[in-house]
Amino acid sequence: MYKYLLAESGYINWMAIFALITFFAVFIITIWVTFKKSPDFIKKMEMMPFSETKNHENN
Amino acid sequence: MGQPEKFSYDNRIVRDFAYATIVWGVIGMLVGLYAAFQLILPQLNLDFAPITYGRIRPLHTNAVIFAFVGNGIFMGVYYSLQRLLKARMYSDLLSKFHFWGWQLIIVAAAITLPLGITSSHEYAELEWPIDLAIAVVWIAFGINMFGTLIKRRENHLYVAIWFYIATWITVTVLHIGNNLELPVNLWKSYPVFAGVQDALVQWWYGHNAVAFFLTTPYLGLMYYFLPKAAHRPVYSYRLSIIHFWALIFIYIWAGPHHLLYTSLPDWAQSLGTVFSLMLIAPSWGGMLNGLLTLRGVWDKVRQEPVLKFMVVAVTAYGMSTFEGPMLSIKSVNAISHFTDWTIGHVHIGTLGWNGFLTFGILYWLLPKIFNTPLYSVKLANAHFWIGTLGILFYAIPLYWAGWTQSLMWKQFTPDGFLQYGNFLETVTQILPMYAIRAVGGTLYFVGVIVMIYNVLKTVKSGELTANEETEAPARETIHVSHGKEHWHRWIERRPIQMLLGSAVVILIGGLVEIFPMVMVDSNVPKIESVKPYTALELEGRDIYIREGCLGCHSQMVRPFRSETERYGEYSKSGEFIYDRPFLWGSKRTGPDLHRIGKKYPDSWHYTHMYDPSSMAPGTIMPAYPWLIEDDLNTKYTSAKIKTLITLGTPYPEEYAENVNQELENQAQEIASNLRKDGIEQENLENKEIIALIAYLQRLGTDIKPSNL
Repeated sequence: MYKYLLAESGYINWMAIFALITFFAVFIITIWVTFKKSPDFIKKMEMMPFSETKNHENN
Repeated sequence: MGQPEKFSYDNRIVRDFAYATIVWGVIGMLVGLYAAFQLILPQLNLDFAPITYGRIRPLHTNAVIFAFVGNGIFMGVYYSLQRLLKARMYSDLLSKFHFWGWQLIIVAAAITLPLGITSSHEYAELEWPIDLAIAVVWIAFGINMFGTLIKRRENHLYVAIWFYIATWITVTVLHIGNNLELPVNLWKSYPVFAGVQDALVQWWYGHNAVAFFLTTPYLGLMYYFLPKAAHRPVYSYRLSIIHFWALIFIYIWAGPHHLLYTSLPDWAQSLGTVFSLMLIAPSWGGMLNGLLTLRGVWDKVRQEPVLKFMVVAVTAYGMSTFEGPMLSIKSVNAISHFTDWTIGHVHIGTLGWNGFLTFGILYWLLPKIFNTPLYSVKLANAHFWIGTLGILFYAIPLYWAGWTQSLMWKQFTPDGFLQYGNFLETVTQILPMYAIRAVGGTLYFVGVIVMIYNVLKTVKSGELTANEETEAPARETIHVSHGKEHWHRWIERRPIQMLLGSAVVILIGGLVEIFPMVMVDSNVPKIESVKPYTALELEGRDIYIREGCLGCHSQMVRPFRSETERYGEYSKSGEFIYDRPFLWGSKRTGPDLHRIGKKYPDSWHYTHMYDPSSMAPGTIMPAYPWLIEDDLNTKYTSAKIKTLITLGTPYPEEYAENVNQELENQAQEIASNLRKDGIEQENLENKEIIALIAYLQRLGTDIKPSNL
């Protein structure tokens, strides 16, 4: 069966392969960047909508 | 930390955009509702050109997308941006210019579209002077936003702002790209690209109008307003970063999924499908991030209508971003495309995601800026349930209608003939579903009326804090050299670099798809027998565009047996090389027209346009009596030909100069055919219907064996 799969793989358009590779590259870089961030920084950022101004009690 | 600085937030502009959101929402939905009723009661077209279905459908889509949702975006952005950056908007004058400029553009759209002034590009129908106005107002908004970003008191940019930045730059790129056109006169232009190239550019735009106007700004609003309403931070800020970059990178590639099984080259269709499937990952990441923000506070959802609206909005986002990729699989698309399934899908997104998030934000925000509690939580809850029922009654019948009609189109008898050879049978079958859809739309609209009453009472009981006084320390200057700082944190503090980064990410997909289509000749094969339209046919084509015929009729026979049996030879990309704009359409409320040429005599078209039900009893097509009554305006015919020559259409030399004589000759020929069939009318050869007949009779005939 595998030889048939391999034989068919030659017909996959290079654009589709390029698309797949660029997607995974972007995805992996983003995940790497995200998990390199310090927990303190993440905490500060996620609380940002709640620390708008000192006397902005309404919100 | 620096010394606290006193300043104020501009709430007046937020209020103005909130009011505009409501007002245009009512108008846009009413127009949509009227169009929905026209489909079951065609007499509502009233034989009056400006309100025929073909003309008001684009008015509905433009009004709800750019007026209702557009103003909703600006309302949310102006509120959240100031607070996240701890700064008043950069310029009150620019804010006002932005507000009034946008409203004037909407008014211009509301006048020109019913008058039939349209480019026919879906969701980009407005003609070139209004396109220019949009560019000016959009740039003013950009200057105001980036000015605020530069004078901010907060170092880092919250993820909502990234979405706003990506929205701004991508809409700028899309608007320019899809509106490259050469004017003929003040209200008419032809696009630079033709045929299959125009189709790719249009759906690169059209899909990303959904992505970067209906989605990314609303995701930014979700990341700000949902945590605020739930009093909890977003579930995972890390996930929001992945969501952002992955989403904006992938979304831009997905446009070709609107053109599956068309004449677009196969490689471009494959790219559209692959990237559409990948879109599930970031979309659902964002959807789950929104819903999981409510972990531990689901009891609040029972009590607070704001959260109810937001939960259904995020759920609708999840549903439509699952369904979208599924519809992009070619075998599913073969069934769904051109049917009401697509309309149902779109309305889950617009009514659920955009509509409900907007309502949630309005209910949360207006009491805040008017310093008063919401007038009635009960009424807001009532709005929620009426609206939810409205969405269900709207979408479910359309899914049903879509499946029914598509299966009927494809049904063969055991002898190998089309079981429903008369297209009209497949329309009358789904009219009950159209009726239930109209009920759903009415329910949704009633909910909005309930909201308006509640909002009016709330506003009356409070007082606007136009300038909300506050204070925050001046922004600290961080003295860290770029080399010692993580690059992503560095970019998060620099809006211009974030803008450039977003631009690069979104341009990759666009360029990879569009450049080969425009630059490589082999992507657009030529067919020797395909010739430019004659002057009369061109005028007829422009009438076809004016009347919005492509809202109901496609011009793209797909390579399926069920379609070639019904319509004729499947459409080839080389047949469209002189089509500016392309008119493939995206919905078949009526049959495909690409092979209509020479199928019926001229007199059939004349009678059909005058009274469609006389030729097709039970049809829901409106009548077009003005085409019979009005003289064809040939004042700009020569200018149109000259414009097309400039764009590369190979008309013979001197053609533009002698165009009226040739036009008259062809008109005489058609008028003579009509008279032979017993149609007598004064000045028949000068009427608009003659030009339309010329165009319809030409359609798809260039490659007919008899013409070769």
